[in-house]
Amino acid sequence: MRESPQSSILSGALKGCLGSLDGACIEKLLLHCASALESNDVTLAQQVMWVLNNVASPVGDPNQRLTSWFLKALISRVSRVCPTPMNLNGNSSPQRRLMTVTELAGYVDLIPWHRFGFCASNSAIFKAIQGYNKVHILDLSITHCMQWPTLIDTLAKRPEGPPSVRISVPSWRPPVPPLLNVSSEEVGQRLGNFAKFKDVPFEFNVIGEQPTVPSSPCISTLECSSLQYDFLLNQVLNPSTLKLEDDEALVINCQNWLRYLPDEQNNGASQEISCRDIFLNRIKDLNPCIITVVDEDSELDVSNLTSRITTCFNYLWIPFDALETFLSKDNSQRIEYEADIGHKIENIIAFEGTQRIERLESGTKFSQRMRNNGFFSVPFCEETISEVKFLLDEHASGWGMKKEDDMLVLTWKGHNSVYATAWVPCGFDD
Amino acid sequence: MNNSSAMATAPSASEEASVSSAGNPMIAAQVGPVKKKRNLPGMPDPDAEVIALSPKTLLATNRFVCEICNKGFQRDQNLQLHRRGHNLPWKLRQRNGKEVKKRVYVCPEATCIHHDPSRALGDLTGIKKHFCRKHGEKKWKCERCSKKYAVISDWKAHTKTCGTREYRCDCGTLFSRRDSFITHRAFCDALAQESARSQTQTLAITNEEGTLKVQAQTTTTRTSSSSPPPPPLTPSTGVLSPVLSIHSSEMPENLIGRSQPQPGTPQLSATSTTSAAAATAGNSSDANVSSTTGVFASILGASGSAGLSRSSQSPSSFSGLLCAMGGPGRSAVEPISLSLSSSLYLSNHPSTLFPSTPQDHHPRHYSTNPQPALSATALLQKAAQIGAASSGSSFLRGLGLAMPSSSDLQDNCASPSPATAPATASASASTANWMMSHVKPENGSVAPGQLGLGLASDHAASGLTDLMMGPPTIFGGKPTTLDFLGLGMAPGAPSSDGISAYLSSMRGGGLDVAAVAATSTFGGINLGGSGWDDSSDRKPTLL
Repeated sequence: MRESPQSSILSGALKGCLGSLDGACIEKLLLHCASALESNDVTLAQQVMWVLNNVASPVGDPNQRLTSWFLKALISRVSRVCPTPMNLNGNSSPQRRLMTVTELAGYVDLIPWHRFGFCASNSAIFKAIQGYNKVHILDLSITHCMQWPTLIDTLAKRPEGPPSVRISVPSWRPPVPPLLNVSSEEVGQRLGNFAKFKDVPFEFNVIGEQPTVPSSPCISTLECSSLQYDFLLNQVLNPSTLKLEDDEALVINCQNWLRYLPDEQNNGASQEISCRDIFLNRIKDLNPCIITVVDEDSELDVSNLTSRITTCFNYLWIPFDALETFLSKDNSQRIEYEADIGHKIENIIAFEGTQRIERLESGTKFSQRMRNNGFFSVPFCEETISEVKFLLDEHASGWGMKKEDDMLVLTWKGHNSVYATAWVPCGFDD
Repeated sequence: MNNSSAMATAPSASEEASVSSAGNPMIAAQVGPVKKKRNLPGMPDPDAEVIALSPKTLLATNRFVCEICNKGFQRDQNLQLHRRGHNLPWKLRQRNGKEVKKRVYVCPEATCIHHDPSRALGDLTGIKKHFCRKHGEKKWKCERCSKKYAVISDWKAHTKTCGTREYRCDCGTLFSRRDSFITHRAFCDALAQESARSQTQTLAITNEEGTLKVQAQTTTTRTSSSSPPPPPLTPSTGVLSPVLSIHSSEMPENLIGRSQPQPGTPQLSATSTTSAAAATAGNSSDANVSSTTGVFASILGASGSAGLSRSSQSPSSFSGLLCAMGGPGRSAVEPISLSLSSSLYLSNHPSTLFPSTPQDHHPRHYSTNPQPALSATALLQKAAQIGAASSGSSFLRGLGLAMPSSSDLQDNCASPSPATAPATASASASTANWMMSHVKPENGSVAPGQLGLGLASDHAASGLTDLMMGPPTIFGGKPTTLDFLGLGMAPGAPSSDGISAYLSSMRGGGLDVAAVAATSTFGGINLGGSGWDDSSDRKPTLL
């Protein structure tokens, strides 16, 4: 009689769905699936998945599309829990699509998801480096320097003439979409061409040696992430590898980046401070004149699967809904964009421990962390706000913006999606 | 308190100021963050009459009715004019009786801030527009950027300006937003090639403003901005002079000022056409930019392609001038944009001039494929029969679903989607029955809109595809029955095998699940898409 409590759960879930299988209903189903997985009740899990599968469709409406990615992630999770002969060989990342640079340029402009952060950050940076003739930007982001052309363009028109600009990027980046089919060096070269065209003195550097990740399967993911973390700390946030100069304005741009830093207690460290905090402190030590941080505004770094699923579902409907507004159901760009989000969903739901690299925290929490670590927030000026507003006006009418303390938050239909912030270390020496 | 135009508050911070149709400059938009306690411009006149109109009345277009002949008018002045025509005695010409009391209007929407009489608006047109904008259905959609408007005048105002600024990259792609253009430009191959060329091809860009004016009269070039009028080129000429090619790119930011159309003004020059032709030629192969620019470069010849000179002027003055001199007639633009747009349609670029692809305006239909879910339908019906008969339907019965009798299959709700094949309607009905029978759908048949289980199948067989067999292909590839333990169930497997294997596996509690249903879709998934500030917004509530 093992089946009746489960079936009653499921029928209870379905009961509430009479009339319309809407987002609330799907969420319930996902939750049932999650709790079934957590209690290792595979039978119930697959029952729910069967139902979900009837809802899901990668070319349906946003709820259906989102559900299909969630379902995929859940199945991926299950396959790890109950390996079968049909299971994949454990390789978690199938071939990901690589874009050209111009495709990526279009990608980041599909919806203002990224452009919002670019605009706010660039505006804050522009203001912060007024009076400097040399600027050094340490770019920690996943969008391969798509942010910089507009800043270079603005700097070129500075009344006192453009500063010389140096951009450094780490040689390693988190293995997440969007992925490019060219190297960082090539990206830098193109940027350099553009800067030259705009008569802005420019230099581009890729920092550090690639952290050597042995292909041996014996290396644990824990060791792997440690390698990368050490690389970041010791090679990237290192004044000598960065070749910092005194008369330079140092700008540190963290765009969709900090969430990939582990937030657990540092291995063996006696202080009760996490890797993420150590990273931030290291940043502070570099004495940057401004730090811009942009990330997605959602609390996803929790160990409880059920709440991750709920939060994730209630958050990622936003880009799906936005894409629905103006792209057709079978539009390939839309599908690809959604697939990249699906990659994120899979990491959040199917993985645990160090393999779960998406460790997003909300803007509010993050701001608190920054303050705890000795940073002051820099409010965005009116000019920036109107620039961002102007940008959003050019997109679909659901996009909006609001201010929460010193954070600028991009909203879709009133819901928070991306936050942008700017910081200086307390005691910054100008 | 002064209560005329200064009186009323604006609809909300996010609304534009609306101008009263009577011509009074109306309400200033409320400025500043909401949390700042701003002095409202005084309490509305305490003597003012507060009018609460129903939504129906508000939306009615002819509010002013002639008492003599009952003709309706949108505006009071029009009504007055009309009344004069009735040759009324002088006394009755005036408005009936008491002088018009100051009237203020509240918004009928209970949750709205303007529902409160102390926040009423002083102008009828204003409250109408507010109601439409804030609470109404946005029926008017801009074709270019898909922004939606509830008030037609807003829509008109927007479409006048939308897309009038365009930026063109040398590779031929058009952008309506400057930042997208800049970003693209920075990484575009066209720039890479140009930078390889020397910058010695500086063209004397003298006083741009001066030369531009000259050009307005003398040249047909719309996009050019340098002093010597370029020789007119026919599109068939494959070779552009360096001068001309530079024109297309050296104008500041390649701004193509498509301002207000005026008929009879200069036509688009050969420059644009040639570039368009080049772009078209380039794009004809594929949407790959690099190949496009390769063709482009070759067309322009070795020396040609846009040795870029510095853009020294800000685009704003340029565009301002363009606006001043008037852009080409919109009808004149069309032929050019046709050639451009053909390349645009070929490329899949999202930020091009017409972001909506031709497929964009398909009616919203669920994924359908005419291919009927033969085995799926059969599976479902078979399952229905088996379930009723055997104890093996533990899964289904366990769900608390009673098996429908065959008569029920027919008269249940049809799929709302017109694209669904009729053959699947019964299957969908049966599925609907399965899902909902335990909650007594007999309180009236489930409305099609609510539970339109369109069994839209885009595949031959079952929906639970090879879930374990390669995630990348799950939702794109061909579905097969989910086969955890390698029972070897192929898509076309006889239905009876499928269902019984499925059921026996369920009984065994093993991991294998053989799917029986094709991918079906549920209607009624509510995203609140009709108006994003609807209260029925799709925000799922937590358990």
